[in-house]
Amino acid sequence: MKDATPFITRLTQSGWFFISPWLLGFLLFTLMPFVASFYLSFCRYDILSAPEWIGLDNYIELFTADPLFWKSLYNTFFYALFAIPLGIVAGVIMAMLLNLEIRGVSVYRTLFFIPSIVPLVASSILWIWLFNPQIGLINAMLGWVGITGPTWLSSTAWSKPALILMSVWAVGGSMVIYLAGLKNIPVELYEASVIDGAGIWHRTRHITLPLLTPVIFFNLMMGMIGAFQYFTQAYIMTMGGPEDSTLFYGLYLFQRSWAYLDMGYASAMAWILFVIILVFSLLVFKSHKKWVHYDH
Amino acid sequence: MITERSKIIFKVLGAALLAIGLLFLAFNPSSQVTRAYPDREEVVFWHMWTGEWTEVVNRIVKRFNESQEEYEVVALPIPRSGADFKFLLSVAGKTPPDVMAQWRSVLPAWASQGVIMPFEDLMSPEELEAMKEMVYPVVWDIGSYDGKFYGLSVGLNIWALYYRPSHFVEVGLDPDRVFASMDELDAASEKLFRFDASGNILRIGFLPQHFHGWLPSFGGSLYDWESGEVTLRTPANLAALEWMQGYTHRYGLDRIIRFNSSLQSGTGGTMDWPFISGAYSIAFDGQWRVEQLARYAPNLDYRVMPVPPGGTEGLPQAGLVAATFMIIPEGAKNPRGAMEFIKFWSGIVDPDRAAEFYTWGGWLPISQEIAEAPAYRAYVGRYPQFQVFLDILPSPNLTILPPIVEQNYLMDRMNQMEQRVLRLSEEPEPALQGLMIELEREMSKRRERP
Repeated sequence: MKDATPFITRLTQSGWFFISPWLLGFLLFTLMPFVASFYLSFCRYDILSAPEWIGLDNYIELFTADPLFWKSLYNTFFYALFAIPLGIVAGVIMAMLLNLEIRGVSVYRTLFFIPSIVPLVASSILWIWLFNPQIGLINAMLGWVGITGPTWLSSTAWSKPALILMSVWAVGGSMVIYLAGLKNIPVELYEASVIDGAGIWHRTRHITLPLLTPVIFFNLMMGMIGAFQYFTQAYIMTMGGPEDSTLFYGLYLFQRSWAYLDMGYASAMAWILFVIILVFSLLVFKSHKKWVHYDH
Repeated sequence: MITERSKIIFKVLGAALLAIGLLFLAFNPSSQVTRAYPDREEVVFWHMWTGEWTEVVNRIVKRFNESQEEYEVVALPIPRSGADFKFLLSVAGKTPPDVMAQWRSVLPAWASQGVIMPFEDLMSPEELEAMKEMVYPVVWDIGSYDGKFYGLSVGLNIWALYYRPSHFVEVGLDPDRVFASMDELDAASEKLFRFDASGNILRIGFLPQHFHGWLPSFGGSLYDWESGEVTLRTPANLAALEWMQGYTHRYGLDRIIRFNSSLQSGTGGTMDWPFISGAYSIAFDGQWRVEQLARYAPNLDYRVMPVPPGGTEGLPQAGLVAATFMIIPEGAKNPRGAMEFIKFWSGIVDPDRAAEFYTWGGWLPISQEIAEAPAYRAYVGRYPQFQVFLDILPSPNLTILPPIVEQNYLMDRMNQMEQRVLRLSEEPEPALQGLMIELEREMSKRRERP
């Protein structure tokens, strides 16, 4: 505006100045690669020579001639299908338990939260040991009850379930958010329901869970994005093996780009992943009117 | 409530912190490379050695810097996992090192992409010819791509069979007898296996791994040097793969996985090698183990023998040779200095002097001259097991990986294929066929480039 006071102008300037590091970072390191990768997905590009336009070839090749693409997609969906619901159920149950008024509850909360702040690399190494078929703790415990445990990460049948099992370990992060959601539920609702004679099951079913749905919705979205981008644990623990059974989409994308310098192809993969996540996010968003309750 | 005074204090504190931070960044001693000879031309050398090996590299670099007055080599260790793409990005960004030591399947791809410099640009034809005359034929082959020479080896790797004489004696085998055929190896292995009462493996006699390493002994090959074609589905290759799978059939996949998983510490260190603890009686491994055993298990009684010929087309003293080789990136600021350093280390100019470097790292020499140098002879005198590898070196039955652009891809997919076959998920013949299809698809993808 022409008649904006100098003070406001100064404030605006400072505002721009203060967000400029973030803004520049966003433009240079997020938006630009984002746009560039879209262009590159229609090219053959190996970093060293100029990108060469090949139209839809990368996409056609991916969908029609690359079995590893489908394999990695299958592995990723398999993981997401089990890990996300399991994470939600475990997180909610744990949050409800840790919402009880018992002695030392804050100590328990801390204990269950700690795994989620352990660096992924460190926890992955730790879990390699836990899953060791011969000297690992998990099979040792199974052995106490007379079960010969599977070979976990060395088995094509058990490698994915092992990683899903491991994902529950770090559920503490979402548990804290559920806990905050639980604290937000007005106590008078419970009081009223108790007076009306509702038992614990009815209170959970008709008060706690419905009023927790906004938080569940949030964690579902985040969990979904995380699951589709699953990478670090597989990279460290299995490198895609055995027999490509843990070759997740993110891992295959990484191999394509950095091991074979197939940047155009990898960009196409990245955009397919983007569309997949977008579609699923939209579906969840569309459905949320039916099951997410915002009003008290 | 923020007062005017506290505002000023904040500003002063902020400015002071910023200044300290900048000063720290500017004068942080660890961010600068200390030059011992600042007035000389700098030769930046990247390598991927870590731990005890860094020390060896530094000693060689020091020797070079002391040997002349024109150049100073500055060695920079690069973490292995990101080394290749760091190198490529540095070339693309026009700030490459002057020389790099490599051992991965990169030479054909990088040569074809114009990332590395042919030695023809830096050496006269006479010099090159003299070098070709001097080195073992495999050294020339490993460094060549499409008629030009791109990488000079500074150490060769060959694999052979390490075995424990005490285990042999224990089961009534003669430790002095070298296996004449793969059947003898199988029979010995059968005797050396140990199981507990419930059938779990207690000791592995022998277990084959690394398909490409076995091919030459079966008379197989991955490449037809005459036609320039990759050959995967040959009877000899199939025989090798079937032989390998036979071990899983005999001893059981589940048992093998369980036994092997109990051996690993997961650190990938020297002590992870199950041969040292006696968990394996015979192990197929490279010559560098001799040096490691001398260092970490000096009292271990072991011997080495060459891989026997296998199948109907088998060859003696055969094997796949890999190398650590020096490359000079395109765009290097000081390629001449890099070349001098390579000549120095490899022993092209002074084999007697370089022989010592080879002994420091436990590397196999690249030429007969170096192998016969006094320092190397003394080394072999100390570790007689090394002689077995030296005897294999001049053999005509040695091969190298196919000089194709897709070498890296082929090796990755071949490992996966081997895994599927050894885990009994796929039969050898369709597995080789599938690998060929995969490779052809990858090749056609790249060939489409005009």
